[in-house]
Amino acid sequence: MRRLLLPVLASALLLAGLAGAPAWAADAPPGASSCTGCHATRQVADSVIPQITGRTAADIANTMRQYRSGAWPSSVMGRIAKGFDDSQIDAIATWFAAQKE
Amino acid sequence: MTTRRRFLKLTAAAGLAPVVASAQGQGAGRVVVVGGGFAGTTAARTLKALEPKLTVTLVEPNRIFTACPFSNGVLAALREIGQQQFGYDGVARAGVTLAQTSATAVDAAAKSVALADGNKLSYDRLVMAPGIDIRWDALPGYDEAAAEKMPHAWKAGPQTVLLRQQLQAMEDGGLVVMSAPANPFRCPPGPYERASLIAYWLKIWKPKSKLLILDAKDAFSKQRLFQNAWAQLYPGIIEWVSLSQGGKVTSVDPSTLTLVTDFARHKAAVANVIPPQKAGAIAQQAGIADRTGWCPVEPVAFESTLQPGIHVLGDAAIMGGMPKSAFAANAQAKVCAAAIVELLAGRKPVDPLLINTCYSLVAPDYGISIAGVYRPDKGVLADVPGAGGVSPLEVVGGFRAQEALFADSWFKTITAETFG
Repeated sequence: MRRLLLPVLASALLLAGLAGAPAWAADAPPGASSCTGCHATRQVADSVIPQITGRTAADIANTMRQYRSGAWPSSVMGRIAKGFDDSQIDAIATWFAAQKE
Repeated sequence: MTTRRRFLKLTAAAGLAPVVASAQGQGAGRVVVVGGGFAGTTAARTLKALEPKLTVTLVEPNRIFTACPFSNGVLAALREIGQQQFGYDGVARAGVTLAQTSATAVDAAAKSVALADGNKLSYDRLVMAPGIDIRWDALPGYDEAAAEKMPHAWKAGPQTVLLRQQLQAMEDGGLVVMSAPANPFRCPPGPYERASLIAYWLKIWKPKSKLLILDAKDAFSKQRLFQNAWAQLYPGIIEWVSLSQGGKVTSVDPSTLTLVTDFARHKAAVANVIPPQKAGAIAQQAGIADRTGWCPVEPVAFESTLQPGIHVLGDAAIMGGMPKSAFAANAQAKVCAAAIVELLAGRKPVDPLLINTCYSLVAPDYGISIAGVYRPDKGVLADVPGAGGVSPLEVVGGFRAQEALFADSWFKTITAETFG
């Protein structure tokens, strides 16, 4: 529980100040638009699911790879990350990183 | 505004879209979206966000949308029905034109939709997201009048409130009987989440009562997770009767609240009949539903394989491996909207990747999930091999509590994205 929750809460707190990121853009790579069903593009009150927008591409890509390999524990993200190859992860990471204001 | 500014910046950099739009003469085109649930509303908003020059009209008769996800919590008095309800003000603010009336007929050849208020809408592309209708002809004895005695509560709203009232009025010791249909149907884990949360409530308020699930299937979504949790949390309260054990309900008698199988007659104190379903009625009229009652689509832009120019989203559509869920509907809508923008500009949409994640609550602090990743393969949306699956059977610490928290956050996020 502690290992799972701490990174999540830390991320949520770090990102709590960001708001108003665009929900959608025309150049989103395959897979990116599904992410926002859980990872809000603008701040949602009381959500414990961290936002992705505004994080660096390297951070997002690394997180996805750690989930995919199982090196980091997760609930759904390990199962989801296994559906994406390196180039898909990199494209999604680069796109979300560019969505900050 | 942000989205528009960003879109303009992107397109200006690419030097493409404004030229294409003006070359078409009348801006970027007209899209009509029928159905204001998770699929249709998301599609309408995304279309407008991606291409502000589009005229996007959302046809939806209800002023207030009542969400099915989390509505099982209303039955167990964990939530109120108002927490399930969302208006369309945010959709209108996003530039979508609202037609608050029903679509009565689609003319695919003329590319127009007739409305109950007498108006007619012409379109370049039509998005159909009519959700489900109950197959009133499929279960002898179960018609619209019977649903007032034996609620389905499979469209959230008055039916949900009715079932909750019946549960609350039931005497302690009364038998709750649920029936679950064969596949496919809206929200595959939904009947079992509902059984779980009703059992949670019975355990507190009607501890002598039991719940019987009569099932037309031998297997169901997240089955081992549910059954393990029932044994742990609700021993002796929930009994599941599978198809091969004689669980298929073949008729009902609403006057006596009796559910009949080939082997037995089950008299209920409260009966929740989750009947066979089909795509919303307008789908049959539009000619986009096949003999199964559901709508076949291609897997890139979700265009009907029966009627060109019409895209079908959400529960009404046959989406290959993707289940009929709100998450899936929202994800499909975003992909479809981007594809429609491409098609209207004369470009070919790229193959999409989609995710589905469905949480179920077994108890307020006990969540379980199923996830999948999907891509077009041989003409259908297929599971990406090696990805997806359900929560682990064995967990440590607060894993289930954390998934319950994630479920709550997911609901807040997806309703904010769709209706906020």
